[in-house]
Amino acid sequence: MIKLEPEILQAVEKPARYTGHELNAVHKDWDEVDCHFALAMADTYEVGMSNLGLKILYEVLNNRQDTACERVYAPWTDMEAIMRERSIPLFSLESFTEIKKFDFLGFTLQYEMIYSNILNMLDLAGIPIWTKDRSDVDPFIVGGGPTVYNTEPIADFFDFFILGEGEEVISEVAKTFVKWKREGKPGGRKGFLKEVAKLEGIYVPSFYNVKYNEKGYFSSIEPKEPEARAKIYKRVIKDLDSVHFVEKPVMPYIGIVHDRIMLELFRGCTRGCRFCQAGTSYRPIRERSREYLRELARKLVDSSGYNEMSLTSLSSADYSCLGELVDDLFADFEGEKVSFSLPSLRIDSFSIDLAHKMQQVRKSGLTFAPEAGTQRLRDVINKGVTEENLMTAVEAAFKQGWKQVKLYFMMGLPTETDEDIVGIARLAEKVARKYKEVKGKWGVTVTISVSCFVPKPHTPFQWFGQLPKDEFERRQRLLKDSITERAVKFHYHDARVSVLEGAISRGDRRISQVIYQAWKDGAKFDGWTDLFKEDVWHEAFRKCGIDMKEYSERTRDFDEPLPWEHTTPGVSKDFLKREWNKAVAEQLTEDCRRGKCSGCGVCPSLKVDIVDWKRKEGEVKANV
Amino acid sequence: MYKYRAQLTKGDEIRYISHLDYAGVMERAIRRAKLPAAYTEGFNPHLKMSFASPLSLGVTSDAEYMDFELTKPLCQPEIFDKLSAALPPGIRLIKLKPVKEPKPCEGKKHKALMAEVEQGIYEVVAPLTGDWDEAVKAVAAYNAASEVNYHRVTPKKTRDIEVKQYMLEPVKIGMSGDWVKLTMNISITQTGSIKPVEILELLHNEYGLPVALGRALINRSKLMGQGKDLIDLV
Repeated sequence: MIKLEPEILQAVEKPARYTGHELNAVHKDWDEVDCHFALAMADTYEVGMSNLGLKILYEVLNNRQDTACERVYAPWTDMEAIMRERSIPLFSLESFTEIKKFDFLGFTLQYEMIYSNILNMLDLAGIPIWTKDRSDVDPFIVGGGPTVYNTEPIADFFDFFILGEGEEVISEVAKTFVKWKREGKPGGRKGFLKEVAKLEGIYVPSFYNVKYNEKGYFSSIEPKEPEARAKIYKRVIKDLDSVHFVEKPVMPYIGIVHDRIMLELFRGCTRGCRFCQAGTSYRPIRERSREYLRELARKLVDSSGYNEMSLTSLSSADYSCLGELVDDLFADFEGEKVSFSLPSLRIDSFSIDLAHKMQQVRKSGLTFAPEAGTQRLRDVINKGVTEENLMTAVEAAFKQGWKQVKLYFMMGLPTETDEDIVGIARLAEKVARKYKEVKGKWGVTVTISVSCFVPKPHTPFQWFGQLPKDEFERRQRLLKDSITERAVKFHYHDARVSVLEGAISRGDRRISQVIYQAWKDGAKFDGWTDLFKEDVWHEAFRKCGIDMKEYSERTRDFDEPLPWEHTTPGVSKDFLKREWNKAVAEQLTEDCRRGKCSGCGVCPSLKVDIVDWKRKEGEVKANV
Repeated sequence: MYKYRAQLTKGDEIRYISHLDYAGVMERAIRRAKLPAAYTEGFNPHLKMSFASPLSLGVTSDAEYMDFELTKPLCQPEIFDKLSAALPPGIRLIKLKPVKEPKPCEGKKHKALMAEVEQGIYEVVAPLTGDWDEAVKAVAAYNAASEVNYHRVTPKKTRDIEVKQYMLEPVKIGMSGDWVKLTMNISITQTGSIKPVEILELLHNEYGLPVALGRALINRSKLMGQGKDLIDLV
């Protein structure tokens, strides 16, 4: 058991990050269970504690009698320095046990820029960084989460990955482990990996041979063990009402990033935006029932004491019974001073009316995502939104009293021209002028937040070469100079980070060396702008003899094998190609939840179906 | 409105949470307890609650005081049990009393909880690193001094504070095992006070008290006004 002296805790920022004992944390007797699972996020306590996936898996694992699940997050740099100086190993927040003593260490892979932190945590735990160097005394290192659809850049650091939704499979993993352990651990470490590889959705990277061609490009990946599948499909929950959701969230003593109840309405979004990886990787739409959500909301308010609830999903306003659900919740919590919010709004007046109802008097600000500045480019990305839609929505918002609007855009999308960039400024200015028209005076703030487009695996833009950093920066300046209205404020992302993300997210196994080198040379918390060390990363690519631009800027051929195709969310390559061609032709594809099936391949390959309560009531029968 | 005063602890588990975080934790506990809590008016309603003197980060306490209001008069045992059951690890409810508001003819209302605080008693324990006699001498010398200045540095400003004006009694020294135990009775005024950790620093740095500063633990054992525990003022 690790005990931190007061002088350590007095010396670090936010010491309660490291002291545990939160309400609803689960403490089990170490010797009473067979499986010890540490769930980790390679980011700070405040970020890690806000992750919904980890909250769910924590309860699923702890609901098993044979398993104890504990939490661990990345220590901040001040704490890390002390831990290294005094040889204090990384520890869990429940029993303060050394992480190395656990059977599993599972990382949620939220975004590429935390990879260096994963290595850092392994090192702090005293666990060998490379899979091949681990022995029977080390935990199995497991990864799962959004970036799992191209794990090749970190494949050599992990024993196995879990693809897709974890509620069922994580329990199967624990069960498989307990059985293997009780049988006397036949075959040692590899013996277990062979067993776990038999489960659907499990990828054991060390069970494959990777080949590259004479140009140095990835050419093939093939199983070398009989248990390894040639292609691994993600796991998907067919009926979200049938699996466990968070009921007793661990309650932090200090403020965290999302310090409120998160009620997940549904999974998936089939609006079909062509840049969006979440849009392809969480298919199909599966809604929770209104009754179950109501029941969950009650349990969560009672067990947490929170007075704020966020109705979360990829596009919450698309929940088919949202109006009715909000009425239910208002009725159920009348007099309890609970407030509700929607994290994302659709660009229409239904959303505005709903937001108005939910926020009542407090008008904090509205956020919309037109994503591109011209209709042409919005058609390219299949963002089915017109300028008229946006103007109608903001007009409704201004009439209801909102004075702050935030608009999200991307730059560097395929086919983008300077006209599209200037279009962002023009659109924002029109929104600002709409306020003057509605209110007869100035007084609005329109904030445009512009990120740099990063092409992602398993999207129709997966072949597209990302813009060079300098070009992103030129377009940022162009946009800045194009804004003439004072009411428009401009924020943009750091292009240095985006191009690195671009290289890693479509990387192959050789990128592991670069990540290792960068970490060795001091890269960590790369997602934190003030800690990002651009030169360390560039130097790491150079030292490894790898051209970063080959990964970020090179446009791939359609028939070129891609290093991520064996780990798939189920969308077919044909569908992605069709969508690319339609993008270039500026043609739209409709949402399949009510409209025509776009033939993405997810439903048949995963044997799953859309769950849409309005559709079930017989309004629409989509083709299958 | 029906006002109550609670005496709570801040245990070892949560010694590193701030005063503001402690208040947030109590707000959620009252909600979990399903008490008919009174809220402030306005767009952003929050629970009507107030606290006595804030505690420094790292200090535990047997004497945290909180006043809060309910919209219905519940009996004391019911509130006590419901609130106790909803508290997180590290917080215990020791005492709970209704605050009797004086009748209008009796004049002014109750003072704010914060304004009632006049005195705090702290126990400081730290491992002895030298001779016991040396420790006793250091404390005696400090107690005998007529004026002691503490140089307080904060991010905003730096100033010298005369410490002895806040000492209501001489610092007492005792032993338990290898640990020195100091008892400090400190005056808390509207215009200022001195923290027990600052007195400990002075004792160590200026008077040569041989203890391991970095391992010292501080606990507030009492918080008083008019010579009585705050819970007995209602």
